[in-house]
Amino acid sequence: MSSDIVFDQAVEIPDILKSGDVVTTLVGERTRLSLRVKAADRIAVAKALGITLPAKIGKTNTKAGIMIACLGPDEWFIVGEKAKYSNLYNKALKLSSKYVMSVTDVSFRNVAVELTGPKVAEIVNVGCPLDLSLAAFPVGKCTRTVYEAAPIILHRLSEDSFAMECWRSYAPYMVGLMTAHVQGQRV
Amino acid sequence: MMLIHCPYCDEKRPEIEFAYAGEAHIVRPNAAEQQAMDDVEWSKFMFIRDNKRGEHCERWWHANGCNMYFNAVRNTVTDKFIKSYKIGQKRPSAAQIQKWKDQANG
Ligand SMILES: [Zn+2]
Repeated sequence: MSSDIVFDQAVEIPDILKSGDVVTTLVGERTRLSLRVKAADRIAVAKALGITLPAKIGKTNTKAGIMIACLGPDEWFIVGEKAKYSNLYNKALKLSSKYVMSVTDVSFRNVAVELTGPKVAEIVNVGCPLDLSLAAFPVGKCTRTVYEAAPIILHRLSEDSFAMECWRSYAPYMVGLMTAHVQGQRV
Repeated sequence: MMLIHCPYCDEKRPEIEFAYAGEAHIVRPNAAEQQAMDDVEWSKFMFIRDNKRGEHCERWWHANGCNMYFNAVRNTVTDKFIKSYKIGQKRPSAAQIQKWKDQANG
């Protein structure tokens, strides 16, 4: 794949979300892998791939621009800069003849937004009912959850910033809900 | 909104992340057993449930979470979840359910 081709994510962030208490930015193109590995093979597969697969659901490991989140007992979500990936993907493909596992490139399935600001939990909670206090949702935690009716993957980047990603076709819905909330507050 | 404990996430999570998946501990007949079953027996397996009033062992799916199925004992009268447990664990006895309730009541 040529790195010159920029994939149009077809999502607009309205101006009202780009400033204020919470600043929303569209995350550029990323590579995303969905990795399924039996728990018993987790350590062996991670070693062969040269990565760390966190054992506990909700935990992440971020190293050299690649974020790996454990979403389920046998499911990991890997996301980061696209240049770093083809190697990892190909290695995992080869390994899948040896272990009961699968790797799927889901790069274009999702789009992500990053939300930053002191009131960030408030805007996430508009659509997501999780407890976002630091005790219940510490920095680094990542989970699949919902934003109103859209399934999302929510990752806390710092005390006051989250990355939120959803399937691409749900993005106008997700961004629309955020927009309606902010518009309502500024009337 | 209720909070439901997922035994895989080991967290209480909002109800809307979950989907109900019917009565638990119903063993699917294997292929040979299915061949030997007549339509009445098959329809009993497929459709007939206890529809219990009270403490009910049932399946739940953490669809918008860890994506795992698990079982839970829930009181169908009060809607109170008594305990969630992983797939593979045996159906809890009445004594076990009582013990869980006593523990919950401290
Ligand atoms: Zn779960």
